[in-house]
Amino acid sequence: MIEELRKKAEELLKNGTVKVVFGYGEGSVPERTRPVFITKPEDVNKLTWNKYCVYNLTTYLKRQETRKLGKPALILKGCDARTIIVLLKECQIKREDVYIIGVTCDGVGDPLAEKCKACDVHTPLIYDDLVGEKIENKEIPFEERYAELDEYEKLGEKEKWEFWQKQFEKCIKCYACSNICPLCFCDRCIVEKNQPQWIDPSAHARGNLSWNVTRAYHLAGRCINCEECQRVCPVDIPLNLLNKKLAKEAEKSFDYRPGYNIDDELAMSTYKEDDDEDFFK
Amino acid sequence: MEKTLNKNNFDSFITGLKKQGYKTIAPKKDNKLVTLDEIQDANEISLDHVITNNSIKEYFLPKTEKILSYTIEKNKVEMKEPEGFAVKSVIFGSRPCDAFSLPVMDKVFNWDCVDKFWVERREAVTIVTISCDKFDSYCFCTSVGLAPDAKQGSDVLLTKISNDEYLVETVTEKGENLVKELESVFSDPPSGTPDRQVATVEKKFDIGKIKPWLDDNFEHDVWDEFSHKCIGCGACTFVCPTCHCFDIVDECSMTKGDRVKNWDGCQFKMFTMHTSGHNPRNTQGMRWRQRIMHKFKYYVEKFDSTLCVGCGRCSRVCPADMNISEMLEIIETEAGK
Repeated sequence: MIEELRKKAEELLKNGTVKVVFGYGEGSVPERTRPVFITKPEDVNKLTWNKYCVYNLTTYLKRQETRKLGKPALILKGCDARTIIVLLKECQIKREDVYIIGVTCDGVGDPLAEKCKACDVHTPLIYDDLVGEKIENKEIPFEERYAELDEYEKLGEKEKWEFWQKQFEKCIKCYACSNICPLCFCDRCIVEKNQPQWIDPSAHARGNLSWNVTRAYHLAGRCINCEECQRVCPVDIPLNLLNKKLAKEAEKSFDYRPGYNIDDELAMSTYKEDDDEDFFK
Repeated sequence: MEKTLNKNNFDSFITGLKKQGYKTIAPKKDNKLVTLDEIQDANEISLDHVITNNSIKEYFLPKTEKILSYTIEKNKVEMKEPEGFAVKSVIFGSRPCDAFSLPVMDKVFNWDCVDKFWVERREAVTIVTISCDKFDSYCFCTSVGLAPDAKQGSDVLLTKISNDEYLVETVTEKGENLVKELESVFSDPPSGTPDRQVATVEKKFDIGKIKPWLDDNFEHDVWDEFSHKCIGCGACTFVCPTCHCFDIVDECSMTKGDRVKNWDGCQFKMFTMHTSGHNPRNTQGMRWRQRIMHKFKYYVEKFDSTLCVGCGRCSRVCPADMNISEMLEIIETEAGK
């Protein structure tokens, strides 16, 4: 598979289809990989593929430094490729501006990442080329997809509040969660605005609560569950619990799952006169 | 002064500290992390780790702190300075690299404007360090002139000499007083030369080659190339024991408010953004260069000290696996060309 990826990257760079390939390279320790940006065909040997390829490389589509490199080909797993569908729907990219080298994937992380346990996109839903043997994407029942929430949902209101207070207390406001998120693409985040100061910049209880809740809310009905925010959090806040809970509510309310179908209307930004507004109570 | 401390006496040591009115901070396991945190009991202490996830910095420069409160009335403004922020404490079980970060940062917090929040806390806190008997591939203390059993910055240094026993060396008067206060928990020093169990951390680069190269290479392709993967967050600077940039904001209503000092970091794009909209460091490459330049050139020129203690935390937490010692190795190679 690595050889196939390298060959593909080399071909795309040589024939001028793309200027750069966003892929995975060897990391500083064997248990890590790192994002690499290949611009010369002779460098394709820097590409690798293994179970530590956890990153969602679509995040580099929002960064000016990597955008400057020219039209990219991205090596994307099924989960990552869902981001592309959301970004297209939200008019952040044009289909012709990205080339997708889809990779089939039977799970990453060691131990297996939580996101992989109920994966229904082993084979990406959108790609220009596919590398790896096709794996059948089996439908996974609703309950199983949100099993990660079972324990959390058993908690009472007070316990949930205490749980999040304890978790958010740890937050140091490094903003790794939003910077890594491919869907946190605002050029200027609300936390960076101070006229008015919507969110207290301090990492105290009030500031941490408003930041973490705002971040999660902005992803409701948009998050594709790549778990990158949780992976990068240096103080180990289980951010994906929040994302997943909101995804579950969005699915229940709108029967909508982001990043599956390019023709679906967006849950949070589609206006319909005959919308059922039962949930405004 | 030299003594020994048996692991079985940790309990009486911690109880003793409490009796003497010290708040105790020590490495504590919390799910996936080991953090320097307040403890009540010796059972809470974790010893089976390379280094704590958080650095010692937050006990001297907290992630957020009130530096002033004020009320505004029709004809007067009243201001109140915070009190009681410096609490008599012992930080037990921090690593030598963390301890060394303190004298390094004393230089900047006592330069020009004396930062009383830093200085008063430094006076109130006693540092009891445990030498490293293990390390991981991110550690590079020996490359920046330190050692896994370096004493600078500690008041007392503990070094493992058997499975249960630590050699206790007092480094400062403060440390000596602490050991005297709790004399009964310590035993006499061992006769002969004790078998100090200290990790062997190999040098990764020659620090002598770094600054001369930086002096000549403000403009170089490596800055952009190395930082393409950087996502521009502040994780590296916030976990760093020597990154000390902060921002001051007012959190206020029309009639009252607090002036607050918060951690800030040079990797954020907003860090240098001017009100005009101009940003003198408008690419991640420039911001990454700043981090390296500040640590290995500017601080050296200004304070005759490297602003890095080789703890490796920035590289461990980096979301994109940016590795600082790798950057320094690249610089060493470039310098040799």
